[in-house]
Amino acid sequence: MHNERINIDLEANKSAVAYSIPIGPTHPALKEPIRFSFELDGERIVGVDIKPGFAHRGIEYMGMRRNLIQTLYLSERICGICSISHPLAFTMAVEHAAGIEVPPRAQAIRTIIGELERIHSHILWAGVGAHELGFDTLLHLTWNVREKVMDLLESLTGNRVDYAIPIISGVRRDIPEEKVHLAAEALDYYKRLLQDLIDAFLHDKSVEMRTKNVGVLTYDEAIALCAIGPTARASGVKKDVRQDWPYYGFADMEVRAITPEDFGREPVGDVYDNIIVRVLEVAQSIEIIERCLETMPSGELMSIPKIPALLAALKKAEGEGIGRHEAPRGEVFHYIRLEADVEEPVAWKVRAPTYGNLMAWVPKFLGDEIADIPIIAASIDPCMCCMDRMHFVSRDGDQSTRLKEELVRLSREKTRRICG
Amino acid sequence: MKPDELLAVLTGRVGSDVTHLRTVEHRHGAGDHPIYDLWVEVPRERLRDAIGALCAAASPQITTISGDDVGDRITLNYHLNVGWGEHYSAVALLLRTSVPKSALSIDTISDLIPGALTAEREKREFYGMTIDGIPDDRNLFLPEDSTIHPWRKDEESLRKTEAEVKRLVKWETRDA
Repeated sequence: MHNERINIDLEANKSAVAYSIPIGPTHPALKEPIRFSFELDGERIVGVDIKPGFAHRGIEYMGMRRNLIQTLYLSERICGICSISHPLAFTMAVEHAAGIEVPPRAQAIRTIIGELERIHSHILWAGVGAHELGFDTLLHLTWNVREKVMDLLESLTGNRVDYAIPIISGVRRDIPEEKVHLAAEALDYYKRLLQDLIDAFLHDKSVEMRTKNVGVLTYDEAIALCAIGPTARASGVKKDVRQDWPYYGFADMEVRAITPEDFGREPVGDVYDNIIVRVLEVAQSIEIIERCLETMPSGELMSIPKIPALLAALKKAEGEGIGRHEAPRGEVFHYIRLEADVEEPVAWKVRAPTYGNLMAWVPKFLGDEIADIPIIAASIDPCMCCMDRMHFVSRDGDQSTRLKEELVRLSREKTRRICG
Repeated sequence: MKPDELLAVLTGRVGSDVTHLRTVEHRHGAGDHPIYDLWVEVPRERLRDAIGALCAAASPQITTISGDDVGDRITLNYHLNVGWGEHYSAVALLLRTSVPKSALSIDTISDLIPGALTAEREKREFYGMTIDGIPDDRNLFLPEDSTIHPWRKDEESLRKTEAEVKRLVKWETRDA
């Protein structure tokens, strides 16, 4: 086990405490700021301290003062990208706590929308990664092709984000037969596009030079630090809730955790492996959605279709439940406790994927250069505006602050330098 | 791993101090295969033994630690994903312990599962707990100098916020 690197992190964290760090890395345009404080030896990163929480919104506190239907819509606004992931975990937790069944057709629809979200999230991430490396042409290409799935989501749900599909006991909207061909058409589009994505991201010399052996998280580190999602799978950790604890439509199919081995590469846990996993997971999501559409059960959308009856049933409910969903960035987890005659959840805990991967960031940075920071930070697909402002502490005690623009410039200069 | 095997791992180390709260079976899709939650409770002084047993038997992933202010005590639920790696292989384990507010401290498990540090720092700051042996006891999500514990139901400094939130909820539902 590579505990040495992990112990180094903890010591580095302690040493960073001695320095006063400016507050204010919030950015009004982004939802979740974060502050990194790097300790440097020349250009090399020898220590990193991470401080989240600048936009802690007290979601759980707010949810525990609203009824469960209101809290469901609050959960949908935890994340704009994973905007079905939290409602899926929340509804599962409430349904487990209250003993409410979800009809098979509703489970299939939840699965389909969840996988469509994975496609758009992974393509979005690929564009961000390209931008951080200085390939804005690739950014625009990926975000252009992402529009197809956004259009499909809008057609199926009415919204590009915050789809308002899950409701406790089922889903709010059906996928009618006349919409199925739209989904099939979009899936065919992405199937034709997959080889282009693989060529652009995995067979490009410049991308390889900037991402191979950069931002490494070893297998043992991923296990010890409890990394999740593509971040863990890129290190060869075969962890995926859809495989390990199959729920909803995944219960009837054999989803396998994708690792770099599926691309014929021994897992290193570097940024390149993160790209492999996400690109291959787009293909996997296509297969899952096709399977769901082919085998879509008929029947009800909600086991308790009338909202007043649902609220009455929830008010009587007493119990605890957990909800899990393999979101694009990793497992989303919700715990809830209900008391009879109390409309609000008495206890509610939300665990988003970036929280789970926060510690895994530390070893990924160590030993790499300042110019690699943007792509390493992006590699876990963080759900926060991590790059607004950074604070550096050099070994001789000199402190400086660098803005995102400067870091992106350094990253791009490195790409140009190594590509000749 | 099956829930009874997991329970045996825990009782093998912690013995009768493990209380089996329940095993919950869920059936999704066509319902051919169940997935399981296992809910157990241990006294706080046996928490490290229980976590140690899990670490020896598998590579448990700590998902998070949830807390619940139930009056004179804080309930802590250690949510673990045990047995991951294969189709239908994992059990969602909820390992519960509780600490009295009169002695609000618990041992760290970060030396056993380094990935637990984020959840422990969060519980420390949001409930005002002491985590004995924690390698980093700074606030994580709250401001560095904050001494408010927002998830405590007896947090006096939040009374004004509480009233403001009630007014907001009333306003939100004015047309309902």
